[in-house]
Amino acid sequence: MSSTDVFERVVKILTPYVKNQAALDTVARETHILDDLKVNSARLVDVVLEFEDAFDIEIADDDVDKVETVGDAIDLIESKTA
Amino acid sequence: MTTAPSAELGRGPRLSLVVQREIARVLSPLSFAGIWFALRIVLGYRVDDLASARRRHREIRIRSNAPLLVCANHLTMIDSFLISWAMGSPFWFFLHFSALPWNVPERSNFAAATWQKLLIYALKCVPIERGGSRTEAAAVLARVAHLLRNGESVLIFPEAGRSRSGRVEVESAATGVGRVIRSVEGCRVLCVYLRGDHQESFSRIPARGERFHVAMSELEPKTDQHGLRGSRDLVRQVVRRLAEMEAEHFDGRQ
Repeated sequence: MSSTDVFERVVKILTPYVKNQAALDTVARETHILDDLKVNSARLVDVVLEFEDAFDIEIADDDVDKVETVGDAIDLIESKTA
Repeated sequence: MTTAPSAELGRGPRLSLVVQREIARVLSPLSFAGIWFALRIVLGYRVDDLASARRRHREIRIRSNAPLLVCANHLTMIDSFLISWAMGSPFWFFLHFSALPWNVPERSNFAAATWQKLLIYALKCVPIERGGSRTEAAAVLARVAHLLRNGESVLIFPEAGRSRSGRVEVESAATGVGRVIRSVEGCRVLCVYLRGDHQESFSRIPARGERFHVAMSELEPKTDQHGLRGSRDLVRQVVRRLAEMEAEHFDGRQ
């Protein structure tokens, strides 16, 4: 799976949780999930669990702390699926 | 350096917690008197059947040496003071200082000004920034786990904020609390449900002269799930228990 595919799937998973819909129009790897997309921090866990299901991976609690941006999420997923 | 709740704290953070605890202990006669005066005299609060609540807490505490995490519903900004008041007398806490719960207040609410920082430092608090850096949040949770492993009591609101609906919200359960429970072997949870007679929804402080009802229930959450799902499962067990206690509270008043 290419990085572009992962990016698109990550954004699709994030979309229902995004409060700042305008930020979705310019979403990029550098986009901050909490600060820019305004995803509720409590809901970030649900997002990560959806990543697990969608990519058939298991993400450790500690790994979630490293996910700040869309790019961080993509890197984490790619490291687990490599 | 890792700061995950499962990791051992570094020497610096460990030492800073020890120093904070001892400063808090030295200042406790002053802080206890001030809080008691504010709650009891200035605000005129009462806790219904206070002696029974304190007895119940003592019974749960002495039943086991296992770590005890206190998890409570959250409706006002002074809930942690009210819960501590309901759990033990100032004199008892002075003699059993480890039983006085550490708190994890939201930084913007309680640590914005210098005087607030000094005050919460002396009240066994480790502030956290809600919605802030996850690395910083993990470092705070690591401190919480360390305190629990070392016999200190810690109070956390597992809904991660005051309930906007005025009712316990299982969906708001903060997975970080589950991570702490998972990382502290044998961790028990003391669920505390506290509510004032006139507390319809969330607020900054309860109404003057308010009468509070408090209920306590011990829980040892367990899960077969791993990772985040396990953490979420554990904290949801805690918040569901709080929701059950809330239902009992309202059933009892009908």
